[in-house]
Amino acid sequence: MNYGRELLKGNTDSLLLCLIRRQPTYGYQIVKELEKRSNGYFQFKEGTLYPALHRLERDNLINGKWQILPNGQQRRYYYITERGQQVLANRLATWQDFSTAVTAVIQTETTSG
Amino acid sequence: MMSSISHYLNRFKDCLHIDQTIKDGVAEELYTHLEDKTQELEENGLSREEASKIAVQSLGSPELIAQQIYETHAQGSWKEALFSALPHFLVALLFTSYYWQNIVYVSIILALTVGIAIYGWHRGKPIWLFPWLGYYLMPVVITGILLLSLPQGWGWIAALIYIPLALFVFIYIVRQTARRDWLYASLMLAPMLVTFSWFSSLGTGNELLASDWIARLQTNALGIVISFIALAGATIAFIRLKPRRHKIISLLIPPLVILLSVTMASRGNINSWGWLILLFSLFAFAIPVWMQARAYQ
Repeated sequence: MNYGRELLKGNTDSLLLCLIRRQPTYGYQIVKELEKRSNGYFQFKEGTLYPALHRLERDNLINGKWQILPNGQQRRYYYITERGQQVLANRLATWQDFSTAVTAVIQTETTSG
Repeated sequence: MMSSISHYLNRFKDCLHIDQTIKDGVAEELYTHLEDKTQELEENGLSREEASKIAVQSLGSPELIAQQIYETHAQGSWKEALFSALPHFLVALLFTSYYWQNIVYVSIILALTVGIAIYGWHRGKPIWLFPWLGYYLMPVVITGILLLSLPQGWGWIAALIYIPLALFVFIYIVRQTARRDWLYASLMLAPMLVTFSWFSSLGTGNELLASDWIARLQTNALGIVISFIALAGATIAFIRLKPRRHKIISLLIPPLVILLSVTMASRGNINSWGWLILLFSLFAFAIPVWMQARAYQ
């Protein structure tokens, strides 16, 4: 499997939680935001988004609510829960440590090479 | 002609076997996603037809999304799994001693079962409901069989009044359950499979009434307890497992244990009527599983 895709798969939940924490959002907007914020790096497979959102909701990390727009259209907006915020904070801290450690190792390799 | 979006959503709904409300919700979510994407592509100059085709393609296989959504919703918690297996454990407990002959204990468990089944039925049919529902249906069916075993005259009353009514209730509940998921129908009918299998080893009609069937049933208590514990184990596995094919396999184990226990306990001495009931119970239990397995192929 493609390494980049594997990394994305392992971090999908954190990315989704991050976006939802910024502001309550819905499926299609999440896909667009991810693409925009990563400058097109994250080409999220749209179909995999909804199972991921439902899994997060089942684990009580986010909460989905239907909202009726002024044009009568319905959208399901996702909100981060308190538990979701805690889990995200832990994951971001772990990611930060991991990233710092990987960067340090890579830099050492580059310098010595 | 059906649009690409409608066709896509129908395919999605056809292969998703979860609670109807959740299913409709996810389908609605996918619909708004497809509409958003289509609208955006239309604004970029594509025709409605082209835009909706591309939108559908970007979302990917509806079967794959349905499978992933199913795995999210089909796995019950440990609490739900244990609560689902509780009626099997209670019946097994009755047979570990002479409690099953005590009208007070049996009545308490029966009232508990009926109360919990009615509560679950009116609270959105959660996943733990179906084994309880199976025990709820049992008195309905057993009363019909017992009425048929009564002397002439009573049998006619059973045939004319009770049986059509009981069949109506039975078919209605099985249909409602199968509409949600065929596998839940098997899960629900499982206690009947155990009960009828063990009754089939005792004989029927006058033979059953004339014999000391209580003593014979007590002699087979260990086999009965093993059967209900096997059922409880399979129920826990069914609720906890995620992939659908694993759920199907978990449902196929108890019939084998039960068939083996009944045949060993009766030393193969089951009359033709008994075999008929046994095979009928096995078929009733296995048909939904088999239909589901066929749908997979």
